[in-house]
Amino acid sequence: MTAVLETRALSVSYGGVRALADVDVEVGEGQLVGLIGPNGAGKTTWIDAVCGFVPATGETRLDGRTISGMPPTARARAGLGRTWQAAELFDDLTVRENLSVAADRRPMWRLVGEALTGRESDPPNVESTLELLGIGELADVAADELTQGQRKLVGVARALAPGPRVVCLDEPAAGLDSAESRALGQRLRQVVDSGVAMLLVDHDMGLVLGVCDRVVVLEFGRVIAAGPPEVVRRDPKVTEAYLGRAAQESQAILDASAIGTGT
Amino acid sequence: MASPVLQLEGVSAGYDGATVIRDVELTVDPGEIVALLGANGAGKTTTLRVASRILRPISGTVRFEGEDVGRLAPHLLAQRGVAHVPEGRGVFFGLTVAEHFRLGYRGERLDLDHALSYFPALEALRDRRAGLLSGGEQQMLALARALARRPRLLLVDELSLGLAPVIVERLLPTVRRVAEETGAGVVLVEQHVQLALEIAHRGYVMSHGELVVERPVEELRRDRGLLIASYLGEGSAEPALQGVPGTGGRGG
Amino acid sequence: MEQVLAFALLGLGPGALYSGIALGVVLNYRGCGVINVAMGAIAALGAYVAYGLRTGGYLFLPPLPLVPAHVNFGGPVGVVPALVIAVLVCALTGLLLDVLVLRALRNASPLAKLMATLGLMLSIQAIILLRFGSSGQSAPDVLPNGPGDVVHLLGVTIPSDEFELAGIVAVAAFALVAIYRWTRFGLATRAASENETTAVLVGLPPARLSAMNTVLAASLAGALGVLVAPLTQLDSTTIPLAVVPALGAALLARFTSFGIAMVAGLGLGVIESLVTYLQSRPWFPTTHGAQLPGVADLLFFAIIVAAMYWRGGALPYRGSLVERRLPAVPKPVRLQRPAIVCAVLCITAFLLFTYDFRQAAINSLIGMLVCLSLVVITGFVGQISLLQVALGGVAAFAVSKLSMSAGIGFPLGPIFGVVIASLVGVAAAASALRVRGVNLAVVTLAGAVALQSFVFDNPTWGGGFTGSPVNPPHLFGVDLSTQASFPTGGGQLPSPVFGLVCTVAVIMAGLLVASVRRGRLGQQMLAVRSNESAAAAAGISVRNVKLLAFGLASALAGVAGSLYAYNFGSVTADRFGVVNALVFVSFAYVGGITSVTGAVLAGLGVTEGVFGHILEKWVGVPASYQLYVAGLLLMATLITLPEGIAGGRRPPPPIRAISRLIVGPGRARRTSAAVGATQGGATS
Repeated sequence: MTAVLETRALSVSYGGVRALADVDVEVGEGQLVGLIGPNGAGKTTWIDAVCGFVPATGETRLDGRTISGMPPTARARAGLGRTWQAAELFDDLTVRENLSVAADRRPMWRLVGEALTGRESDPPNVESTLELLGIGELADVAADELTQGQRKLVGVARALAPGPRVVCLDEPAAGLDSAESRALGQRLRQVVDSGVAMLLVDHDMGLVLGVCDRVVVLEFGRVIAAGPPEVVRRDPKVTEAYLGRAAQESQAILDASAIGTGT
Repeated sequence: MASPVLQLEGVSAGYDGATVIRDVELTVDPGEIVALLGANGAGKTTTLRVASRILRPISGTVRFEGEDVGRLAPHLLAQRGVAHVPEGRGVFFGLTVAEHFRLGYRGERLDLDHALSYFPALEALRDRRAGLLSGGEQQMLALARALARRPRLLLVDELSLGLAPVIVERLLPTVRRVAEETGAGVVLVEQHVQLALEIAHRGYVMSHGELVVERPVEELRRDRGLLIASYLGEGSAEPALQGVPGTGGRGG
Repeated sequence: MEQVLAFALLGLGPGALYSGIALGVVLNYRGCGVINVAMGAIAALGAYVAYGLRTGGYLFLPPLPLVPAHVNFGGPVGVVPALVIAVLVCALTGLLLDVLVLRALRNASPLAKLMATLGLMLSIQAIILLRFGSSGQSAPDVLPNGPGDVVHLLGVTIPSDEFELAGIVAVAAFALVAIYRWTRFGLATRAASENETTAVLVGLPPARLSAMNTVLAASLAGALGVLVAPLTQLDSTTIPLAVVPALGAALLARFTSFGIAMVAGLGLGVIESLVTYLQSRPWFPTTHGAQLPGVADLLFFAIIVAAMYWRGGALPYRGSLVERRLPAVPKPVRLQRPAIVCAVLCITAFLLFTYDFRQAAINSLIGMLVCLSLVVITGFVGQISLLQVALGGVAAFAVSKLSMSAGIGFPLGPIFGVVIASLVGVAAAASALRVRGVNLAVVTLAGAVALQSFVFDNPTWGGGFTGSPVNPPHLFGVDLSTQASFPTGGGQLPSPVFGLVCTVAVIMAGLLVASVRRGRLGQQMLAVRSNESAAAAAGISVRNVKLLAFGLASALAGVAGSLYAYNFGSVTADRFGVVNALVFVSFAYVGGITSVTGAVLAGLGVTEGVFGHILEKWVGVPASYQLYVAGLLLMATLITLPEGIAGGRRPPPPIRAISRLIVGPGRARRTSAAVGATQGGATS
């Protein structure tokens, strides 16, 4: 299987502190990969580095082509999408506009022409993406009038609207209630099955362990475990990293969560 | 029995019109440690922000030592004896350790010796800028700065953020000592569930902006289902939730 | 070599003024996060208070109902009491600014705060003009300045006050460093400026800290104003505009370090003086045998730009309780109806109005174009540019020079002018792509000053003292100028024909800006404005969007400049100077920086515009009071409507009523009810 997105020895330092150290992550075609770890483990830093927002060493490849050193816009246009922890919607635009401004990849002179003639056209995909995430009714609502949960969904929709090869989701379920979170999991699965690879960072262990094909675990900027959810779940290093000591009791928690998330 | 240090009565709050916590009822007695547990985004930090009044509640009453403080300016509430150690940045990176203890409002006396009695390690770091301390030292400083004020209510948010477990295991028992020795009420938001349950007296579990469980820690430690359900996604262990008041009938 | 040293040391006095103002700016920024452009005006205020007390024995008061113009002390006041009273007046000004204005704007955008201090600057300048006239005064000595008060150093003789002033600012800077390091107040300010939330949590009172710092800053600037005034010119612009190099010095200090601000201020003074020396050398380039104007200002601009690269982009982060945003950007519902209604209104006006109202209407229409330019660059893309008026000047002088020297007239001349203005604008933007927010305001302010004094004041390239003439516009033999004959209008200038030309330009520009806002291009601009990182992650080229916006905004400013050239038949430098630039930005903000409606309102309000003329002719407010009223109105509007009159989500009822008449009823905007109706859980 070819990797859609992979990092090799990706490292990031902030003023002497190593936020990421030699991290290898691989997201294969049609895969949903979870990236988990305790707060401050470097998950968001990994997404920032992959998308070109923080300087990093090591290599990042998209569809086998190296994208290290490319600016964020170019990476996005090459087929890499992302969402943000705080959604970071364009608050002055409506939901539909948030999606279409991201999906519209026409060159600027075409847009200038459009402004001069006053004609508007919406890019394809926008309506279907809104429907896919179940936010069709919100299409004409201004982004700054949404609830936190709705903002997260719109953020995911905005990342998907341009039809990317792979999307990195930074805590899409934070702020959603459990029903919404489960629904989101199913929708993400559908999206992945339709051919968009995905990397999912989230604290909702039920969601990550339940829907992901593979899980990578970070702690203090290093990969401490990787593999299928059931393997990672049994890894004592993981339980210790996540829940501190009393590893056996933590193990019990993880086991229990496994029972419940057999989706 | 003295009146509770902190009472939240039917408090709802949020940002920019979006409600994050709803109808929260919470009390903390003097000398009592209350652990506030729940998954990320459940509303724990928002609850603390309302308790220290940097966030004004949308509805409900916030009482400090019996008095309604919902309209009090946050710095005045702090001056009355509420110490809130916020998540991540409880210190001023540009100030040295010693400067943190000279920094105070007019008339405030900071009890450096009292603080150092809990964290003797800070003595050696007096002249170092807080920005140059390690994460554990920074949290130690934040706690010490809060203790130097001899607060009557201590709100601690994610003390363990980004810290190695071994450091957390040293810091948290200090919180217990403080509560026992000074009679301060403590609200502890903590992701290290086990550690929190070891030092707290009571635990509240939040889920999606509501308090769903309120129990003595012994029960929480005994009945794992309660915790698992609320902390790791309540969908994961539905059966365990049945019969727990406050969890049914939520919108969806 | 002695001469070089002498000139260098003679720069210490003016440098001390820059230093003192820069220290005030840094203090004010650290205290409450405002970039106070009025700090120079406060220094001038101090200087004038001391001047009035020492020469006439009176304290002048601002023009207010029931308040006398002067308080008499019955005879000239001594140096020390005059200095004390001047500093107290400045301290009181700082206190009023903080408590009445800045406190109300604590959660407003940095731009709104900067605009508020601009209002104070304009008011102080206006008070000085009203009380002392525009001719300028020379202040009596404060520090000893007799023939014996000199210092002999390495073969040169320098007045001792140059050293004393440098010493005073050095002591002030060290005192501030000490206060910030060792006092409770200083520690608390440092803590609050690093993280306001945490500061509040430990019980520090942010409002009181802010007021104390503002008062301290104003007192310091005022004291320096009194002390340096004898060495410089006392008028309504010289000391107030010393804030431009001072802002440069503060920028070098990243609005944080008192030491760097002090040294940089002195350094800029020394550089300025050295430039004067170099210009006296025979090999230095001249223009028409006279000295090149504005070399020092150009150098200041270069230093500020270099500093931006050297010291990196962003200002130190101020953790604050509430996230600040620029005003919301309403989406125009329809274009045709408002365009037609406005066109009919304008045509009717030009047919019916008398000549004086025609002139006011033309001034307003051109003002609208300048404000539209600001709507694009600041309202849509969030970049605070103070360069737009100067770019208008670039086009205006290009039109004049092309017409007089190359014989290129209408319409080719203005087209070239607009193109040149756009190119300069895009070039400026390209060199400042990483500079944003209030930093960009400081850089573009210095750029505007440099353009004015280096280019516009130059008799060859610009207008010099006399102005640069323009041939009237003709198209296919039809006279379009202000002198064109027309059946109505009584043959007086300006001709209704030129008014119609301006109408056409404004309506086309308004349609273009509205159309940009409605289309994808506008969405991209707003995306960049709300979050550059998120925009880049969504595949939007932040660089291209900014460059295009700068190009479009500069072109609009260029059209305005070309029309100005034809309006007055001659192009003068002061019309495109930095004071006018600041006035335009403030009117644009008050009108509503985010919409075409806002630009129209702002245009009606500009100096010599329709509102001003009504005030003068029918209400009886003399033109000399208009700057004063404008400054006060600017502050009052910001306090009551921090997003500007037409800028917010819900403009005031009269504006809504008028816009309903013009735009038409039935704005199909969804209500918040629709939000709650979906997805259940998260909202219930």
